[in-house]
Amino acid sequence: MTASKVTGDNSLSSELKQLIKSIQAGSHAILPRFGDDLLNSIVETAARLFNAAAASILLIDEEEQLLEFKVAYGASSHDLVGTRFPLNQGIAGYVVMTGQPLAISNVRQDKRFNQDFAKSTGYVPKSILAMPLKIDEKVIGVMEVLDKISAASFGMQDMDLLGTFAHQAALAIDLSQRQDQVQRTMLLGLKRLARNGSNLKTSRIEKVLEDTSQIESDEELLALADLFNHISSLGEAERLACLQVLKAFADLSQSNRRTRHGR
Amino acid sequence: MGVDPDRPAWSEQFNADVIQDLFQDGPISRITPQWAFGDSNGKGVRVAVVDSGVEHDHPAVGKSVKGGVVVEYDKKAENLVRYDADDPPEDVAGHGTACAGIIHSIAPRARIYSVRVLGSNMRGRAIQFAGGLDWAIENNIQVVNLSLSTSSEEYYSLFHDLADQAYFKNMNVVCAVNNYPESSYPSLYSSVISVAAHDGYDPFTYYYNPNPPVEFGAPGIDLEVAWKDKQYVVSTGNSFAAPHITGIIALIRAKHPELTPFQVKTVLLACASNMNKPRNKPGRGKPARK
Repeated sequence: MTASKVTGDNSLSSELKQLIKSIQAGSHAILPRFGDDLLNSIVETAARLFNAAAASILLIDEEEQLLEFKVAYGASSHDLVGTRFPLNQGIAGYVVMTGQPLAISNVRQDKRFNQDFAKSTGYVPKSILAMPLKIDEKVIGVMEVLDKISAASFGMQDMDLLGTFAHQAALAIDLSQRQDQVQRTMLLGLKRLARNGSNLKTSRIEKVLEDTSQIESDEELLALADLFNHISSLGEAERLACLQVLKAFADLSQSNRRTRHGR
Repeated sequence: MGVDPDRPAWSEQFNADVIQDLFQDGPISRITPQWAFGDSNGKGVRVAVVDSGVEHDHPAVGKSVKGGVVVEYDKKAENLVRYDADDPPEDVAGHGTACAGIIHSIAPRARIYSVRVLGSNMRGRAIQFAGGLDWAIENNIQVVNLSLSTSSEEYYSLFHDLADQAYFKNMNVVCAVNNYPESSYPSLYSSVISVAAHDGYDPFTYYYNPNPPVEFGAPGIDLEVAWKDKQYVVSTGNSFAAPHITGIIALIRAKHPELTPFQVKTVLLACASNMNKPRNKPGRGKPARK
């Protein structure tokens, strides 16, 4: 988007739309969207490599605190995608809550109990290997391979190998999610700008952005962005502490400004 | 060092070809498995299973489950956790029932308490583990089985403090180390009893590793364990090694209620299957049990 195309007749909203489009295009160029294709390919490859009848990736919906089947390969995969269940249920739930992989096999019901288990829970796989998807220390979901065809169960060797796959999948998901976050943050910023200064023309926004004299150094800004990125990956307690420090700093600067202007 | 690819992390030191023969002399060498836990059934010892809950009516736990609590993350609550009664106790995954089943098979008269710490919110999971341990400390539990841990440095000091409190309140904390070779708290603290898996099946064959942090090795590979919905599954993991040691501690504490947590650890060391003694060679063997 060039400043020369911006005329005084353009409404702020259409200019903002232009700006948003270029931000989206820009972020796509920087961070290619991995989307479900790569994840589908990862689960399919995993299923084939482990000689498993099925494989799937489930992701945590943080807002709803649920687990959702994101991609699935093999038996009844179409029915599974989109299915959601509480975070604390079942083997996948156990793996995300503990961050530990789990392999089980030879599922059998105690003969002393006569209930029809299949009726109550549906399909029961003979063997399962479930691996947490982790970004640093944070669990974002779980990857499962089901029903090993060539053996009765998945072993620790399978667990190690699936760990590598899960790491790859987690990286792809993380990049994709970060891209969404960058876009959301930019859009939020623009919305606030539009709300707070409705008479502000986009050309002026651009002018501000282009005027490097207002920004002491791009490197400092990038360092600040890195720092925020790091803080966002910390635990809740650290994030709260950082927020409090920043708020206190903002309040202090505000009161200093008021004091200066008041004089 | 021989490394078996079919073992969880931390358990390599319990490979048959690398288990170190230990030697004990003096008064401690006179402690035998028969003295330590022979004829004991764990009667009356209060054992907490901090996990996914325990299915109270699973045949593998008999009538040993005496109570339960659910530890939920709650922003408004004191210490960020809320304790809800779990009556009768349930298991949301199966893992806790597996651990309780192993403990019950070794110490059939121990009183098991289900402490469910898998809540409905990811945010509080480490806080919930901590809350579960705290519940055990406050409720006069004598042995707690913790097959869960956190790798988050954020909680290092909180778990350290709880491990100390447990120790000073005469409680043995038995922790499974992670299946991955990464930090796991509280399993790597010295006051707890950390356990990894070896590939044997005899519940009374366990080893001491003189090169900590992981001190004990117990069965945990390809075991058939109890599971949710009255099922049994075959599974592998350090998680299943820990309850073997928990069960043996319940036997020891029922027979010798005067012992403190560090004395219990000494007794465990003295009775380890790789401990050679001058008088009672081989100094081990499966004790008779009522």
